[in-house]
Amino acid sequence: MNVAIVGCSGMGRLHAEMIARCGLNIVVCADANAEAAEALAATCGAEVSTQGKRALARKDVDIVLIATPTPFHLEYILAAAKAKKDIFCEKPFCRTVDECKKAIAAAKAAKVKLFVGHVVRYFQEFETLRAQIAEGKIGEPGFAKIYRGGIFPGGGKSWFANYKMSGGVTLDCMIHDLDWIRYVFGEPKRIFGQALMRGGDDPMDYAQVTMRMKNGLIATVIGTWAHPSGFRVKAEVCGSGGMVHFDSADAPLRAQKRDSASGPNMIVPGSPVAESPYELEWREFIAWLEGGPAPRVNAHDGLKAVQMAEAALTSIQTGHPVRL
Amino acid sequence: MVKIGIMSFAHMHAYSYAACLKQLPNTTLGAVWGENPRRAKAAAKQFDTQYIRDINDFLEADIDGVIICSENVKHRAMVDVAASAGKWVLCEKPLAPKPAEARRMIRICNRAKVGLGTAFPCRYSPALIEARKQIQGGEFGDILAASCTNHGQFPGGWFADESLAGGGATMDHTVHVVDLLRWMLGREFTSVYCELGNQLHPEEISTDDLGSLHLEMEGGIQVSHLASWSRPKSFPTWGDVTIEFIGTQGVLNVDAFNQKVDVYSDAAMKTEWAYWGSNIDLGLVADFAKSIEEEREPSITGEDGLRAVEVTAAAYKSARTGKRVEI
Repeated sequence: MNVAIVGCSGMGRLHAEMIARCGLNIVVCADANAEAAEALAATCGAEVSTQGKRALARKDVDIVLIATPTPFHLEYILAAAKAKKDIFCEKPFCRTVDECKKAIAAAKAAKVKLFVGHVVRYFQEFETLRAQIAEGKIGEPGFAKIYRGGIFPGGGKSWFANYKMSGGVTLDCMIHDLDWIRYVFGEPKRIFGQALMRGGDDPMDYAQVTMRMKNGLIATVIGTWAHPSGFRVKAEVCGSGGMVHFDSADAPLRAQKRDSASGPNMIVPGSPVAESPYELEWREFIAWLEGGPAPRVNAHDGLKAVQMAEAALTSIQTGHPVRL
Repeated sequence: MVKIGIMSFAHMHAYSYAACLKQLPNTTLGAVWGENPRRAKAAAKQFDTQYIRDINDFLEADIDGVIICSENVKHRAMVDVAASAGKWVLCEKPLAPKPAEARRMIRICNRAKVGLGTAFPCRYSPALIEARKQIQGGEFGDILAASCTNHGQFPGGWFADESLAGGGATMDHTVHVVDLLRWMLGREFTSVYCELGNQLHPEEISTDDLGSLHLEMEGGIQVSHLASWSRPKSFPTWGDVTIEFIGTQGVLNVDAFNQKVDVYSDAAMKTEWAYWGSNIDLGLVADFAKSIEEEREPSITGEDGLRAVEVTAAAYKSARTGKRVEI
């Protein structure tokens, strides 16, 4: 199967590696930024394009990976559906719930498969938390807290700093945890949130959100793009008979290098695994295309995650809880 | 020599305060009284002091001040009689479940011309003192947000009896952090939204065992706080007080009691943390003794206690109404 990559910055590059590991062939790398497209194409022997829609419609393309900034997801999904290509869309699914609905309708009408990459469902640590809870190790869960984030991605000039486009840390990053909480604990009832969403040359975002789930569980989620450096994930779930806890700072590798010519150099804790969660999501997606079972996350889940993030953003704006 | 009495050992902190009084120079534990005579008598024996059965006799005894460690709803009545007897008062937190009661306690002590202090010993934590110094020195720029926890194990007993405690985990574990943030940032709280949970001990209690609070302080500082009795019996320690401060110039994390040795004992069959940090109660009790000596208000006042209680009461109101509540 041949893949067209649309969007060749960070996530596009990461997915290209996973696509290659899964034995698929990348035929074209497209990005409005020609340099980014060329750089990625060079690593996988693909052709270069600055015209995403033309590239994805090529006859030899079977799968389209969409890894552009969020507000462009819909137009590429529509174009890929029109061209009858199966679609792997990076999260967040789209910028708004309305866009998600249009995307789902288009894929359905065109009879193409549409996958949304909520990769946290594939992370081994989160799967282990889920399994321990399912085995009843903590009794009936009543409370969950997830913390995720670190440095602002790309600094003040990146599209992430345009909150209208990115939705800030709430829509772009915390959406992982909103999705995982819904995956494990069911549907949310109401949401309250606070966030900084500071712009300027030195942007910062820090979101604090609490969800009341329909089953009564309370979930508090902290998302940060306010740290000077690093990245950290912490999760805990408390129940009537115990508690599970994870902290990415507890890792098998921790290295510190002596200062180099370019200044102090630090390698953050590393936690390598034999199978990358990103590779796992690709393998499930490919198996689905080949007639296997549907992946553990679908486009409807992607829509629900956007709906939760949108509700959080509404609460952040209005200062009032939002019912779902 | 400052002579201090303890009224009630219902709250376990009384035992720590008693030990502090024995340990500090120039202070003594003068007498002990309690509504539960057996418990008070045993405590008097443990700390080698006199037990006085009758409350009037206790208040006429040769003591300069009292530390009140009764159940929350009984604080007001005890402050009332102690202040009327001319004793300086240090009252366990929360000052009272209802702000109106706390206000009355302040009025009574003012009228009686005695000092009233609230037991917020976290202000004597070296880690929190250092954090405050760095924040107030501007090392992290302007503080924009904070994410806090005060988790604990389930204390059982009257703590989960609303008629004695006035609430549950949120009543128990919100006021410390509220007081710390007021003290460290020099701002007051302006609003709160709160979700209350009671799923962790469904068989044992009807009060909340978890509160998730979203607060705002003057200047728009965004604060989340988790107050809970969520730590299982198998957890290695009683709980925590943590704050992550987000400033324009950096981030500061405080985990106030994270000074511990891991203990793996086959006798316990669970990991335990042996705390080696400073005893924060010592500073609190020493200041109270000094306030008596100098005939001044304790450093952490009844007013401070009231401010924290106002926030807690607003949090419960928010959970009842489902709305954000202005403070």
